[in-house]
Amino acid sequence: MLVVEHLTKVYEDGTVALKDVSFTVEDGEFLVIIGLSGSGKSTLLRCINRLIEPTEGHIFWNGVDITQTSEAEMRRIRREIGMIFQHFNLVERSSVLTNVLTGRLGYLPSWWSLINYFPQAEKRRAMAALERVGIGDKAHNRADALSGGQKQRVGIARALMQEPKMILADEPVASLDPVLAHSILGYLETLNQEQNITVLCSLHYLDLVQRYATKVIGLRDGQLVYEGTREQIRNITDAEFKHIYGQEAQRLSVGG
Amino acid sequence: MAEKSTPLARPSWLQALLSLVVPGLGQAVSGAFSRGFYILLSVVTLSGLAVFAAAQRPRYPDYSLSFHAYLAFVAESAALLVFLLAIYWLVRRYAMRTEFARNAATPAFVVLVIIVLGITAPAMIDTVLSAAELKKLYALTSLLTAFVTVAIWAWNIFDAAHLRSSERAPGMGTFYMLLIAGILVLGTRIVQINPEKAIREYKDTGVILSRIVWPWKVAFDYSESELVATADIQAPCPPGATPPPVAQPKEGQPWVSVTPTCGALSKRDSTGKPIFGTLLSIKGGGFKPNKKVHIQWANPLGDAFTPRGFGPTDIPVGPDGTFTTQLYIPDVTIPSVAKGPQIHQLRIVQRGAAQFTGKLSKEMKLALQAMLESIMMGLMATAAGIVLSVPLSFLAARNLMSTLHTTTQGFVGGVIGLVGGAYLGKLAGDWLTPMVGGLEKAPILTFSIYLVLVLGLAILAYRLLGRALTSAAEHLPAPVSLGIGIAGMALVGAVVGYLLGLGYAHGILGITRGTEGAVAAAPHTALLGAALGAFLGAFWAWRLGTSTTIPIGQMIYATVRLILNIGRSIEPLIWAIMGVIWVGPGPFAGFIALTIHSVAALGKLYSEAIESIDPGPIEALQATGANRLQTIVYAVVPQVMPPFTAFTLYRWDINVRMSTIIGLVGGGGIGFLLIQWIHQFQYEQAGLAVWLITITVATLDFVSASIREKMV
Ligand SMILES: Nc1ncnc2c1ncn2[C@@H]1O[C@H](COP(=O)(O)OP(=O)(O)OP(=O)(O)O)[C@@H](O)[C@H]1O
Ligand SMILES: [Mg+2]
Repeated sequence: MLVVEHLTKVYEDGTVALKDVSFTVEDGEFLVIIGLSGSGKSTLLRCINRLIEPTEGHIFWNGVDITQTSEAEMRRIRREIGMIFQHFNLVERSSVLTNVLTGRLGYLPSWWSLINYFPQAEKRRAMAALERVGIGDKAHNRADALSGGQKQRVGIARALMQEPKMILADEPVASLDPVLAHSILGYLETLNQEQNITVLCSLHYLDLVQRYATKVIGLRDGQLVYEGTREQIRNITDAEFKHIYGQEAQRLSVGG
Repeated sequence: MAEKSTPLARPSWLQALLSLVVPGLGQAVSGAFSRGFYILLSVVTLSGLAVFAAAQRPRYPDYSLSFHAYLAFVAESAALLVFLLAIYWLVRRYAMRTEFARNAATPAFVVLVIIVLGITAPAMIDTVLSAAELKKLYALTSLLTAFVTVAIWAWNIFDAAHLRSSERAPGMGTFYMLLIAGILVLGTRIVQINPEKAIREYKDTGVILSRIVWPWKVAFDYSESELVATADIQAPCPPGATPPPVAQPKEGQPWVSVTPTCGALSKRDSTGKPIFGTLLSIKGGGFKPNKKVHIQWANPLGDAFTPRGFGPTDIPVGPDGTFTTQLYIPDVTIPSVAKGPQIHQLRIVQRGAAQFTGKLSKEMKLALQAMLESIMMGLMATAAGIVLSVPLSFLAARNLMSTLHTTTQGFVGGVIGLVGGAYLGKLAGDWLTPMVGGLEKAPILTFSIYLVLVLGLAILAYRLLGRALTSAAEHLPAPVSLGIGIAGMALVGAVVGYLLGLGYAHGILGITRGTEGAVAAAPHTALLGAALGAFLGAFWAWRLGTSTTIPIGQMIYATVRLILNIGRSIEPLIWAIMGVIWVGPGPFAGFIALTIHSVAALGKLYSEAIESIDPGPIEALQATGANRLQTIVYAVVPQVMPPFTAFTLYRWDINVRMSTIIGLVGGGGIGFLLIQWIHQFQYEQAGLAVWLITITVATLDFVSASIREKMV
């Protein structure tokens, strides 16, 4: 269970990206975060695994306050939390297999990396992860030779290597076409349902939100302005929509 | 703003007057402070440069003018300019009524200025300078500088007059043009650029140049058939000496006979003119007819030279193979150890046609060896540079280091650990190294032991103590850990302050009060520094409390960057001089110089490559729970491989280039030979070296360019 309490983030230049945000995510939830560009979605997700240091507030992950842990402890917690990114964040010049294997680094002695050593068992695990996302045949290609959709699947495979209990996905489909968007979110949904992995995902298109979310929170200027269940988001009113996205906003659909 | 004014309406006379007295003052009064400042600055700079140029006079009396001449030029230019401006104004006001004429007025004026300058300049130079001082080029530059200064002054008055009345500040184009012109003109003079000289003195250069440009004759050995005949001569000739016998003609062999065989050496008076000694009559035969023989003189040690100035040295041989000539015994410096009469030798040499053997000459072999030495020097320096600069470059990459922060307690632990560990390492080394023989007997082993112990223990203690104090601070009650932080920072501050105090005493007071004063003051300044440092450290620690805010990464980054910058701003040639002082002349000194410079240059290039990588993968790997080392190996290294390779090739290129000239200051390699040959006026040999350098560098250029191309 993830509990976020009074989370505030002020960047060094004084930008208040999150203001007193509190919410709770039960295990197995598919939580979608919506909000305009600049509303603080990425900041929120990165505070949860402390890629960004929160300024104030607490985040409890299965009872442990991760804003108070030491760096070593934080690395152990990060192993349980996979993350996928809008721009995939793959190492473009490395092979697909190596990219996937890096997902396992948190479990391996660090000096192994000096001689670039991964045990056979891990390589098999990586191949299995690639098979699961359907690109086993690309294992030995360089990552920059893949299409956007394939890259994001490598990103998911990398997260799977962590055997995560939770996945943070920051606009995972924003650079993909609608068909690919559904296929990627489909993988996340399968993981969510079959392995009970909690998913926190920021999305832009309302129809995708309505299709995949089991719970939704809305951010506006760093503040939590909306919280709704699957039923509520499917029947969102214009007033609520405009409350999140502003008065001039029009509903857009991604189709598919 | 409502009232529209044309740029030239109603000049402000007060400002113009102010700017006439002090350039830029009028502008400043109108509110354009920086404009006024720049104008003042440039007038002062130009005049200052002119004074400086005049101050060169004692060093280059032939090429400089007195400042007095410059002032005279200023006065004359001012008068000239006022005169020209007056004409300009009158013509514009009364003579030019049409649009075209008005537009043409300014360009016409510029042309007029140039023409008038052209006509008056020679006259002005003539009146100001005495004939002896008349060196046209530099007189002209002085005059032009003076004129530019005056023109800027005039422009400045004009500008001050119109600045306020115009809506927005008029452009400063004219000003900048004048300024640049003035600086370029002065530069010509300070650098003594003198095309006349270059052209006039080309002739003498041609001969030497041709020897350098096509030196290949000396690259090979030639077999020479020589006919030689010798005769012994005793000199000086004390009374009662038994002179060597006169040689007799021999049938079928070259021979020479000289009378007398004993005589006095020539000498030179204080002006270097020879005072001739005994005149020798020389007769010879048995040489090839109708060719020349060459006379050489060998001193008692056997060193032979051509005795020019004491008689003919190249003598034609008659059809019967004989010749006769006369020669004064030349002046010969005899080594002081050899006292009394000595036996010299007269040699008659007739060279046959030189035969090309196809073998490389001694010089060519030397040059090739030295070239190889240079290339390897560059290669080794590059290799050593890579090994040393890669680790440094990671410490000098802002994006990697800026995220590193630590608590006060961790910082204190780290610093104490680092220093204490290093000290322990030194103690351990002191105890251990005598067993292997010490620095004298086993320098490398001893040094390695010290290095490993000092570095190893320092890093170990740094990590252990840093971590221990950090976690202690987390678990102990807040006041206790705050206390640890304050005490520790006070200690660190005290030590730093103590050292700074000592440094102040010896570095600053040592200059102003002399060594004794510094020694006397040192204990006081050191104590004061320690006290201040302790106080500041404690205060800082108290402010920070237990937060993780000390930017240790930034500190390391800044330190490493500083070191790299210093290393880079000192040129390899200067490092080579230090290297020669350290290990003596030779390629090793050059290697040290190039390595130091390579480490600094590559460190900077590498770290900039690291700074410009995509941060995405780093973020992604951190998110998986990977630690720093793993993140660097898997997210940073693959990204920096291409730029690292490119920079390394580039550096290799530079290093080989540098290695060819580093010998000029004693760094070994071909430069060493080159400078030696030049000093001995052996221009062909020097030409060989130049050719080899050129060929190598061009080849290298081509190779590294094509490798780089393939990599992209
Ligand atoms: N490193 C930073 N330093 C300063 N301000 C930042 C930084 N990163 C983000 N911000 C600011 O914080 C606010 C929230 O940014 P954030 O990236 O979290 O928004 P977002 O909702 O993810 O937007 P998008 O949909 O465009 O990705 C923005 O105003 C942004 O400008
Ligand atoms: Mg974002």
